[in-house]
Amino acid sequence: MAVITSSSSSQQLQVHRFPQNNYIDSLGFLPQLSSFHRHILLATFNSDSSNSSLQLLNLTQKTSNSDSNSPEITLQSSLTTPSRISSLKTSQNPNKPLIAASTFSGDLLVYKADLVNGSLDFLNSVKGFHSGRVAGIDVSENGSEFVSVGEDGRINLVSFVNGGLSSKRVFDGNGLVSYGAVKWASPVEFVSGGLGFGLQWWDQRRPGGPVSQFKGNWTHGSTSGIVHSIDIHPSRKHTCLAGGSSGTVFAWDLRWQQQPIILAGVGTSDLSALSPSESDVWEVHYDNYTTSSNYRNISESRVLPAMICSEDGILAVIEQGEEPVELLAEPCAINSFDIDRQNPSDIVCSLEWESIAILTRS
Amino acid sequence: MPGLTSESDDLAMVPVSPEPENHPAVIYPLHHGLKSPIHRLSISWARGNTLQVSVLGKPQSDMATDVDGSEGGGGRVVEVKLSNSGDEEVDAARWRRIAYGSVIPFALLQSRKHSLSAMSLDNPPYKAQWWEHVIEYSKEINSLLGDRKSPPRSIIEDPKSVVIETAEPMCLKAAWELLEIFYVDKQSQSWIPERLLDWLADYDPLFSGTVPTIHSKFVDFQQELAGVQVVEEDPNYWEAIASALSVGWLGTVVKLLRLHGSYRFDQLASRETENGLVEAVALLISKMPRMRPNLREENLGECYKTKPDFMKAWEKWRAQITKLDCSSYWLQCDHQQTREGLKNLIQIMLGNPSVLSNATFNWMELFISHFLYVRPFTAGLESMYNLAQKCMQLKPISSPHKLFGLVLGILGENTEVVLAECSRSFGPWMMAHAVELLTAGSTHAEILLHEEQSKLGGISIEELHKLVYAQVLSSHAFTWQIAPIYLTSCIKQGIGLLENLLYKQPVQHSQILLKSIEICRLYELDTISSNIMRIAGLHHWKHGRKGSGVFWLQQARDEFRLNRIAKQLFDFVGKSVSDEGFKQWEGLIELLGSESRTAGGLEFLNKYRDFRRSLLQVHGDTPTDGARNAAEALVSLMKNPSTPQRFWLPLLYDSLKLLNWQERPLINVSQTQLLLNKLQELSMARLRPDFVEADLPSDSLSSIRLALATNLGRAILEE
Repeated sequence: MAVITSSSSSQQLQVHRFPQNNYIDSLGFLPQLSSFHRHILLATFNSDSSNSSLQLLNLTQKTSNSDSNSPEITLQSSLTTPSRISSLKTSQNPNKPLIAASTFSGDLLVYKADLVNGSLDFLNSVKGFHSGRVAGIDVSENGSEFVSVGEDGRINLVSFVNGGLSSKRVFDGNGLVSYGAVKWASPVEFVSGGLGFGLQWWDQRRPGGPVSQFKGNWTHGSTSGIVHSIDIHPSRKHTCLAGGSSGTVFAWDLRWQQQPIILAGVGTSDLSALSPSESDVWEVHYDNYTTSSNYRNISESRVLPAMICSEDGILAVIEQGEEPVELLAEPCAINSFDIDRQNPSDIVCSLEWESIAILTRS
Repeated sequence: MPGLTSESDDLAMVPVSPEPENHPAVIYPLHHGLKSPIHRLSISWARGNTLQVSVLGKPQSDMATDVDGSEGGGGRVVEVKLSNSGDEEVDAARWRRIAYGSVIPFALLQSRKHSLSAMSLDNPPYKAQWWEHVIEYSKEINSLLGDRKSPPRSIIEDPKSVVIETAEPMCLKAAWELLEIFYVDKQSQSWIPERLLDWLADYDPLFSGTVPTIHSKFVDFQQELAGVQVVEEDPNYWEAIASALSVGWLGTVVKLLRLHGSYRFDQLASRETENGLVEAVALLISKMPRMRPNLREENLGECYKTKPDFMKAWEKWRAQITKLDCSSYWLQCDHQQTREGLKNLIQIMLGNPSVLSNATFNWMELFISHFLYVRPFTAGLESMYNLAQKCMQLKPISSPHKLFGLVLGILGENTEVVLAECSRSFGPWMMAHAVELLTAGSTHAEILLHEEQSKLGGISIEELHKLVYAQVLSSHAFTWQIAPIYLTSCIKQGIGLLENLLYKQPVQHSQILLKSIEICRLYELDTISSNIMRIAGLHHWKHGRKGSGVFWLQQARDEFRLNRIAKQLFDFVGKSVSDEGFKQWEGLIELLGSESRTAGGLEFLNKYRDFRRSLLQVHGDTPTDGARNAAEALVSLMKNPSTPQRFWLPLLYDSLKLLNWQERPLINVSQTQLLLNKLQELSMARLRPDFVEADLPSDSLSSIRLALATNLGRAILEE
């Protein structure tokens, strides 16, 4: 475990690294029971044994001799999964959160975590509703509905019916399109993203196709990219944040449809939108930490601050019209990260070199 | 060569070692689940150090007599993972962690080498700078191999704990430190004996398995100590002290001496002289002059930085010992064991060779003890080597430890031996990283390692080892992405092998594909990058993911293939475009959207979609302007050379309502003539054998003709 404390003018940052001896495919915080008792969920893969598993880690603060608290993680429960996990999402039900895991072989697996006893239980699964890897999933706010997209161009909805899972195909692109990410916008609407920096707005009340489409042809020159991750802030459901190839992060406001707000990107001439990264942005999340204090002060037209992680090892906060703040610059890729919802100063991220890092901002 | 033994139904693989005594056979069972008899076996290498064994049962025809016949014939492919060696001190996950950790120091050193070599390395100031860099590199790699754990500090120290438990020491780290001591750390050149002493203190436990050591003796004594009441009457107590003293573990010696019974309050009065002698020896030991800048924790002595100071102190110290040796107090000491034990210690300090030989258990320990008490002013590798040879004769060992071989190679200044020992015992990681230490520390090694060897195909030994290590990295799914860092530091073969590595990665896995492209971007391998994209594009296309296929071919700017797949794509479009299924195409067409991007023949699809959109908006009651836009789109489509001929007729047929527009003609004379010409061209093309008939009603052609003719008439009238 290595500790790095860096302090910039505004904030202090503590980084703790924990080697895992397994590749981390996806990870996330689980809703916390108490501020001293938190859990992290990992989807790991061991290529030597070709085993993939879900691991429930207990995160505690160890009060050491020095004044800073250092986090400590202990493995509480581990469950072998039938296939490698491509994406992991949890519902925010505090006692027994649901975990939705999509796999490399096109399945959806649903687990229930018992945080009090620290155990994971398999609930149900939908097999082979995508052909090939499921690229992204999302759980609806109430935890009862899952939407999934895949490289095969399918969009599926899975919901609980009479205790079982029932899946419904919303759209089948028959491979003519490929999706890379999906995110719920409201109980009936969601946004998908994929090739060519395209975003599609779907409304279950108007089936058959996307109700609105955004194609990213602002990138001058001959290269385009792929959207890897999407986020939508619950307070601004009309704005969709997306991150993808070449360090590109942009927001698409439904009210100004064909004009993206570029927050970061290599090809832009706008200096304030210089990207902290030049390669794939794997994940984007709105960063509530920075906004918790002056949340109301940010005007409606400005995009809320966002955090990104990238292939070239950058974890950074980007804000419209301001220089990005780098939290981590690793020698290897940062594949995914999660911000603790209840405690947004804490971040967990997975590093390509088989370890995870826990960051605490103060 | 792996041999095969067949035991009952199951097979096992037993590697046969050329030295069977040293390496007991490892058995890898093969669980193939097939019924005997096994008909054929074939073995091939799989990824990494895995063997792929194909086990084939008897063919079906021979098994006809088999009654149940359920599993008759058939075969199974089993993968056998061969472990690195018999004794694995580092497991696979730990190895990977070492591999990850060494990337940054290695890459930093390479880039520094690169920038310094531009300024000529032979220049003294740059040479010195280079030293600094190599030392920094060596320290970082060393820290990666594990920390020297300081003993746990409890508030109440157990006086009887004498064995210092270091965190499981590693041979790999021990070997690295040896190289660091002899090749890199120029500052410690003057006190190499003391560094070796520290080294032995850290790694003596490593030898316990192969040869007798002081450490193993101490572990035994520690257990015994707990039950002993009067330590000074136990001969093991005095032996342990003598051994510790002989290899310079002075802290331990003094600690043990203080356990002596004469220190106890109830006995202090009656054993005053005895206690005085014990304390005098302990004091002398703790005042021993040491030729080193500072002491490590748990060690005693007085440090001297320069040789003259040290020599002066040494002479004085020896005089004090001799004085004590001749003291009359010995006669007053009644306790025989104490007297003999202490006298023995004095003999050690005076450098009595036979006493030293008795106190130590292997030549390495004897070697160190000679440095300390017999030849404290030894300097230079040659005299050290001679001393080592002498010690080996005194304490021969049947099966030498791998580190002993390395020590001898270094002392003998024999680079070939050092290389061979490193390679044999520590593998490719060590070779790739230690080369930097060797070349920095020895001119002979530098020449040997940097010389281009014709028998290696013109590459140097240094490059060979980096390439080998890169191959090892490439063989694992998690480490292949750090191989490029090592490959790019190889001037001759590196880039070629990097190309191979990148082409070998599976393109169907999007993460790996993006990673490969990212590596190409970092090393400016644009051609490889577009080739990979092209391969990915074709792969996706062939597997029915047309969108991804088109996307990657566009990224690769492969006009040729885009045109080729355009033909196939139009077949689909031709059928589905007129109905609801067209919705599916929207996404793909969006992808083709922007003008600036390469689309090849697919550009047509985009225009076609726009035309269809405007056509769908045209109803009987639309204003003429809307209809006129649709008509304009039709004409521009028909004019465009990229519009495939087979679409001409369907296009015109779909636009019949435009041609027959009631209000006024939407298409002017010249435009109508163009359309008529196209129709004419089409009838000519019909005569060719490769013409594909459009799937339209039989009267479509005549109704188009009629509509065009009518339109022409109306247009002429209007003009």
